Amino acid sequence: MSTTDPRDAVVAEPAVPEVVAGAGAHAGAPMARASLWRDAWRRYLQNKGAVIAGAIFLLIVLFCLIWPIISPHDANKVDLTQARQGPSLEHPLGTDAFGRDMLTRVALAGRISLAIGLGATVAILVFGVIYGSTAGFFGGRLDNIQMRLLDALYGLPYLPFAIILLAIIGTINMWTMILALSIASWFTAARIVRGQIITLKQNDYVRAAQALGARWYRILSRHLLPNTLGVLIIAMFLELPGVILGEAFLGFIGLGISPPDASLGSMAEEGRSEYRANPHIMFVPGLAIAILVLCANFIADGMRDALDPRTRETKEG
Amino acid sequence: MTAFIIRRILWTIPVLLLVIFLTFVMMKQIGGNPFRRTERAVPVAIQQNLERKFNLDEPWYVQYALYVKGVFTFDLGPSLVSRDRTVNDIIREHAPKSLELGFYAMLWAIVLGIPAGVIAALRHNSIFDYGLMFFSNVGFAVPSFLVATLLIYYVALKWGLVPTNGWTTWESKILPSFALGLLPMAYFARLVRGSMLETLQQDYVRTARAKGLRQRRIIVRHVLRNSLIPAITAIAPLLGFIITGSFVIEVIFSIPGIGRYFVTSVSSRDYSVVMGITVLTSVVIVLANLVVDILYGILDPRTREART
Repeated sequence: MSTTDPRDAVVAEPAVPEVVAGAGAHAGAPMARASLWRDAWRRYLQNKGAVIAGAIFLLIVLFCLIWPIISPHDANKVDLTQARQGPSLEHPLGTDAFGRDMLTRVALAGRISLAIGLGATVAILVFGVIYGSTAGFFGGRLDNIQMRLLDALYGLPYLPFAIILLAIIGTINMWTMILALSIASWFTAARIVRGQIITLKQNDYVRAAQALGARWYRILSRHLLPNTLGVLIIAMFLELPGVILGEAFLGFIGLGISPPDASLGSMAEEGRSEYRANPHIMFVPGLAIAILVLCANFIADGMRDALDPRTRETKEG
Repeated sequence: MTAFIIRRILWTIPVLLLVIFLTFVMMKQIGGNPFRRTERAVPVAIQQNLERKFNLDEPWYVQYALYVKGVFTFDLGPSLVSRDRTVNDIIREHAPKSLELGFYAMLWAIVLGIPAGVIAALRHNSIFDYGLMFFSNVGFAVPSFLVATLLIYYVALKWGLVPTNGWTTWESKILPSFALGLLPMAYFARLVRGSMLETLQQDYVRTARAKGLRQRRIIVRHVLRNSLIPAITAIAPLLGFIITGSFVIEVIFSIPGIGRYFVTSVSSRDYSVVMGITVLTSVVIVLANLVVDILYGILDPRTREART
């Protein structure tokens, strides 16, 4: 039933580019594979928005990694004489209710949010590949059962699902957060992989491999899965914003990582009680989330254009 | 067509059973017996009576069957924490506010988002078009709690135009529903713009032009109709966004809706309420998917075959 499901609209077309190596540049066939990615990279660079977003994203990642180390302030040092200050030279983003430097704290929280985001995204892709490729590859009754289960899982509301999972696990830290968020949101990735595998399965080279007597796991691992890499990269940047926002929501309603550690969401939660008097304590982490998600969306767009040239004409006209 | 609708409706039943089952299994995983968690030592006899009263002494499949029966007869059982109220009472008290909030949010999204997408497509590459795309990118990225607090900070606190929280007068409903509607709005605008642009390039539109039809007639009869189909299918995933968003919005604006109650129930370990609300939202989502699929089948006959 899922073959024309509108929820698959993003990847309704097989998204692996059948790009021929740049005209005559590498006449030798062995280069074809390398230049497929080179081609994609070239197309990505043509998309200015995606390039800028990618650069900003990288800068933020570097900032989150490096700044807590070289910052003159200790992110967890409480100094009540310095509490709730606005931006100054000493504290470019001000201080929070405990006099902690917001810039350093936002970098540290950004680290955790990014780690949760990337960790959960990778987990989502792993679940998705395992589930989707078994369903798509073996087809038949197994596929049917798996897809029915997926239909039911789609019925579960995302945030309550994640909250219940956190309650089951019992403790909230970075790892349990990754687990809960990825279990609550791997379904789309599974559908994408399944759709991709089903399309790829009809290719002649798969039939050729079968005719040569290749075992199923060889066909799957050697001929099918590598060709889903393109979609997976796109899917990764499509999932990332959802996970970062999901984590932020959980943090914001008080189910985030416990202090003194903080993610961007739980940092925003700390500022919630006093945003009327000191809005910056909440706005800074909120804005950081917005920038991260904005960048990830632009990168996903750029990747999709780069790895799947066919979507380009219809998308931006 | 009728066969398609009947098959689709029948298929909803096992999906619902499975969803309820998944929720049920998860809730069983959380905490064994809610009555052993209290600090007071409860006498064994009372405990057994309580367990019998809530059927906790039955094997799990009986409990599941009883729960399913409860769901289908609209009886979600008693609340474990506020002992004098049932889950039904709680839902009846809080759900209408959430429903209203979600409805107004969707209204904002449809009333502003769809026309904006149409205009942007008709004025492709104009300032309006670029502005709208910028807005929709931002709308996707900014977390709803930031939008909500910014709105409260400026519109309610600084300019004093509307109350800062609550869900009573119509003025108090403007900000929360708008904050919640922003993401669906961005979604609709982008979707409608994209499908309009695509439809505008179709041959039948060119034919209509060549026939000398008026621009307005072409747009209304040939373009709009076909471009709005994706917007209808978008309602189902958007419902998910709205449910997720409403949790946060209700907390920020202190709206006594079902989302806020859910959050408090989780921390007070009121599992029957948590389960009831989860099952209820699941049912809403599954039914919305059903309606969208049927609508889609009516509007676009090509999809009927492929769907159960």
